[in-house]
Amino acid sequence: MQGQSGIGPVTAFDTAAFPVHLGGEVKDFDPVPFHRRLKPAGLGRASQFAIAAAQMAVEDSGIDLDEVRHRAGVSMGTTSGEPHMVERYNDCRKANMSAAGEVFSGYPCHVIPSRVATELDLRGVTVMIPTACAAGNYAIGYAFDLVRAGRADMMLAGGSDAFSRIPYTGFSQLGAIAPERCQPFDRNRKGMVPGEGAAMLVLQPLDQVRPGRRIYAEILGYGISCDAHHMTAAHPTGDGATRAMAMAMHDGGVSASEIDYISAHGTGTKANDRIECLALQHLFGDRAPKIPMSSIKSMLGHTMGAASAIESAACALALQTGWVPPTINYEEPDPECRLDCVPGQARKTDPKVVLNNAYAFGGNNASVCLRRYEG
Amino acid sequence: MNDRVVVTGAGVITSLGSGMELFSDGLYLGKSCAAPSTRLNGSLACEVPDFTPVPWLGAKGIRVLDRAARLLAVASHMALESAGFLRDAAPEGDPGVGLVCGTMFGGVHSIASFDHAGITDGPNGVNPADFPNTVINSPTGHAGIRFKLRGVNSTISAGLASGLQAIGYAVDVLRFRRSRSVLAGGVEELCEEAMSGFESTGLMTADESIRPFGPDRSGTLPGEGAALWMLELEETARARNATPLLEILGFGAVHDGAAAAAVHSKGRGAADAMSAAISAAGLRPSDISSVFASANGSRLGDDIEARALGAVFAGNPPPVCAPKAFWGEAMGASGALAALAAGVALQRGLLPPTPCYRRSEYALKLSAAAQEISSGPALINALGCDGINVCLVIGLCRN
Repeated sequence: MQGQSGIGPVTAFDTAAFPVHLGGEVKDFDPVPFHRRLKPAGLGRASQFAIAAAQMAVEDSGIDLDEVRHRAGVSMGTTSGEPHMVERYNDCRKANMSAAGEVFSGYPCHVIPSRVATELDLRGVTVMIPTACAAGNYAIGYAFDLVRAGRADMMLAGGSDAFSRIPYTGFSQLGAIAPERCQPFDRNRKGMVPGEGAAMLVLQPLDQVRPGRRIYAEILGYGISCDAHHMTAAHPTGDGATRAMAMAMHDGGVSASEIDYISAHGTGTKANDRIECLALQHLFGDRAPKIPMSSIKSMLGHTMGAASAIESAACALALQTGWVPPTINYEEPDPECRLDCVPGQARKTDPKVVLNNAYAFGGNNASVCLRRYEG
Repeated sequence: MNDRVVVTGAGVITSLGSGMELFSDGLYLGKSCAAPSTRLNGSLACEVPDFTPVPWLGAKGIRVLDRAARLLAVASHMALESAGFLRDAAPEGDPGVGLVCGTMFGGVHSIASFDHAGITDGPNGVNPADFPNTVINSPTGHAGIRFKLRGVNSTISAGLASGLQAIGYAVDVLRFRRSRSVLAGGVEELCEEAMSGFESTGLMTADESIRPFGPDRSGTLPGEGAALWMLELEETARARNATPLLEILGFGAVHDGAAAAAVHSKGRGAADAMSAAISAAGLRPSDISSVFASANGSRLGDDIEARALGAVFAGNPPPVCAPKAFWGEAMGASGALAALAAGVALQRGLLPPTPCYRRSEYALKLSAAAQEISSGPALINALGCDGINVCLVIGLCRN
């Protein structure tokens, strides 16, 4: 809300061979205080993030896990899973050391939610939905369906990704990484900035929330669609993005006129920001430039599979506090991105019904619709 | 929320045979597919032999697809065709058709190769065109693009249960009307990286045969493949005059919780998942005609499953087939392969044999010959990988 940037020079690996050097890393992360059963040393960084976020979420919720653990599950998203396992394997190969193949037993991405379930002793559905940079919203959506269908009394839902040279190399070679700062929707934006992190939300059916507990927001619905167009480029007309938002509103039983804040996917690349604004235009018409729509990726960088989970948490905060977060580094409007991106400073707009957008490689689009809880 | 979900098509690529006809026939030949790999230095594995996607997909656009993506694309083609979707496909694609695919390692070979090029030749040494294959949802994304499937497009990872979990997820997609028709199942490719991970789990046998539940079992062999069903609400299927063959009756997913970290698991999660699937189907254990076991020849895993079956079925489980004796541990594809095999068995009224079966140390009705079964529902298990247990109950569709 303060408009601070968490982006800085990459420390996870040497970027000397890259034309760009910025990343949104989690600094000074100590996993130890969050682990009671599992030993953090044996876990990948994405699992450590996930466990830390899960512990914080459960503590914040005040839930007594003993009351729900048999009907409590974990639904998560990720882009890269535990990429450091692959990196370690290749470092060994490069050094002509016997390649430590055992890293691959810790690589498959289901280990992340599974370790959260083990650490917290949860016995319900445990699943990873690795739909790249839209994965957090997919995971929240599935958890929402399980709760709504009465198949879980509590779901931990979110996403986690660890900073890795693999996507960094890929995005860099695509020319997609910004050299100096992340400027979503700015006319002179030069790209995204890879980041890392995790967020977990506690989802419960309303009738099981103990009196007096804080409710951040109500999840109304979600929408998922596929562009079926290109692995990395968004559909030129914004087809999939438009349908995901429309489906989320339909699922939530709200009309476009009720949406009063949007958390943008807003990576800061030329094409993605333009197409997201185009999709907005399709759905909201003349009202599109008047709906506050900010991208917190301007501050955090793009935390990959965790991004939409973190942004859903930001939406929940906005609904609870009335303050919508800003887009920082926004200076010059882009005629192709006509919007109110809440430049520079958070704003008190008291939003009631919000959308959170996420788009990914594979043409995977997911939007979640949330509403202020009025009691 | 109790809309009936039915199967209206299927596509399968396995070491046993590709396409439903060869796969179905292969199930009753009772032979293991274990053989020295032609691609992985002669290591014993259950490989899809001579796999080439061109007869199904043509040559165009194949080069950019890794093996997992090719396996999935071919299985998608087969399942769409058998469900009658390719014939009537709209040129712009169908916003109502989705794809939900389970995978454990995804395209890990593509990921490792990309990273290896990056650290050996520098960032400029990688081919940016290879980058899209490094995301875990790449096979599902590629298949979505190829067949213009504009509905739900999800990748599911739940370890060895990924394929079965994907089917459970797809059922929810249909019941919540998120897509009208959904391809659902799993895919896994054999590659050196997955093989390394597999070896390091200590599950691998040096034997040439996998003997699930056998007293002399010594481990398992890795496998690969792809298996998909076309799933639809019954009303959707009937409205387009498709013939529903099978019905998804119940789904159960249970995590072992803190017990997953323990060395000795009593199989509580496995039993709970079976019971959950059976009761979600509105059935009792005595209604189940047959079980498709998750057992892959591992000492601990098979033991847990056998005990759990004993507990759920009060010491008298129905006839059991352990299909991994055919195609090894096909990881993310396993659960879906077993589900498709169960569908074949129900339609023929005949439980496939378990290859190489001699005897069991448990009170289980396993056989090296096919066993006659009643027309009652089948239970499919995908158990025990980092605490994840998933079970599915399916039945014949009464037309």
